[in-house]
Amino acid sequence: MPTEFPGTAQRGHFNTPQKLKYVVINLFLLVHILAISCWALPFNNPLIFSIRNLVRPYFIWSGLFQSWDMFSPDPKRVNSYLEAIVIYKDGSSILWSFPRMELLGPNERYAKERYRKFEENLQNDQYSGLRPDAARYVARLNNRESSPPKTIMLVVRWSEIIPRTDETYDRGPWNSNIFFTYDVQPEDLK
Amino acid sequence: MRLRPLLDAWNSFFFAPQSPLPIASFRILYGLLVIATLLLLRPDWLTWYGPHAWVSLSTMHTLEPGSRLNLFTILPQNDAWIEALFWVFLASASLLTVGFFTRINSLLVFLCLTSIQQRNLYITSGGDTFLRLAGFFLIFAPAGAALSIDRLIRIRRGKEGVSILPCSPWAQRMIQFELALLYFSSFCWKVQGAPWIQGTALYYVYHLDEFHRFSVPSLFLRPAALKLGSWMALALEFSLGVLIWIKELRYFILVLGVLFHLWLEYSLNIPMFEWDVLAAYVLFIEPDDMMRAWNWMRERFSAEALQRWRAF
Repeated sequence: MPTEFPGTAQRGHFNTPQKLKYVVINLFLLVHILAISCWALPFNNPLIFSIRNLVRPYFIWSGLFQSWDMFSPDPKRVNSYLEAIVIYKDGSSILWSFPRMELLGPNERYAKERYRKFEENLQNDQYSGLRPDAARYVARLNNRESSPPKTIMLVVRWSEIIPRTDETYDRGPWNSNIFFTYDVQPEDLK
Repeated sequence: MRLRPLLDAWNSFFFAPQSPLPIASFRILYGLLVIATLLLLRPDWLTWYGPHAWVSLSTMHTLEPGSRLNLFTILPQNDAWIEALFWVFLASASLLTVGFFTRINSLLVFLCLTSIQQRNLYITSGGDTFLRLAGFFLIFAPAGAALSIDRLIRIRRGKEGVSILPCSPWAQRMIQFELALLYFSSFCWKVQGAPWIQGTALYYVYHLDEFHRFSVPSLFLRPAALKLGSWMALALEFSLGVLIWIKELRYFILVLGVLFHLWLEYSLNIPMFEWDVLAAYVLFIEPDDMMRAWNWMRERFSAEALQRWRAF
């Protein structure tokens, strides 16, 4: 199925549907090149902002949204991981750890990387709305019929990466913080 | 300055017919990558997308509002339907790979891919995003015009000859544009950060425990090497975003890009991203060069096979 368009060969020998197709494709190309560039490039001026706002519903609907800011502008400077403290109705408690990439074997680490991404977002205050769901999931995972979980606490532990003066690397002390507490309801365990 | 040469250049770039071999090769690689992504997701499919997943559908609606292409919103929320989606997705990706009902399957793969990402955007990585964007434009491409079962059927039915017919490459160009924009945008983000300009960025990246993959020789972890690496990454991302469009530089830059991504694949645990991106490099190879490489391999391997046959 060879396809040629006006402008590439034999100008003027195209019927109306072909010309219409050519115009529609060109419009599609122009709009998408402009819109995708304005969306993806980190340039901030009022015109780019207004184009982003204009195309936002279409991009959100179609899945054309994108961001290419991995390790930038500033890479993360702390090692961190998440744990959950599960307190049961009978007063006992356990410490449950989210999968830690550095403790997994190479193959498992490759397959479980989405947990790292999820944990990263869970720590981000912008997505704090994720935390109740995560707490409920931890409660279901650690449910005991004899004594169901009463409270879930999400804990972040972190250690700073400190450059030494001799150009080697030092690991700062481990700190921890309970950043979310959830009271488990009976319906959460279903 | 005159408008006509610009219009001619635009038309030639997007519409001058060319062999569909690059886009067909990309289709095969793309299909395999989608299958690999699915197989990696398989053990945790219900954990991420099931009715009792880490993030519920209603939480996703609250956190990420707006109308979205998402099959999960119309599927009954039970394990059987969510599991069925996996198998439909896998079957569709397999059919796309072999080029059977290519157009329909490219649409179905995009729909499934965008649905699982919209279902849980908080586990989505750069590689997933690139697959989604490339998948969108692949729908419009003549991806089944070569190296496909569709083509074999057309030949058998007498609708097409043995020689591969050229097609308009505008959809292929959009995937190329997306790839170049990925690099250029990454470059622009990085130059806004002091650590990348000062050359200390990779120092931190390579000391993040969660990204460690295979052991890296200490020589490469010296601050001077990491500083050089940070600047080289900037230069390479700029080149892959901008200079790649210059024909004389293209293959040289592509080779550097391949080495760059292989190094990242070895040293950092960023699953699938490197392969997702590298697959699109095939779109930058001239169809004639691709044919030459193919003929060379065919002659070489058939000669070897003949020699082995004779020895036998």
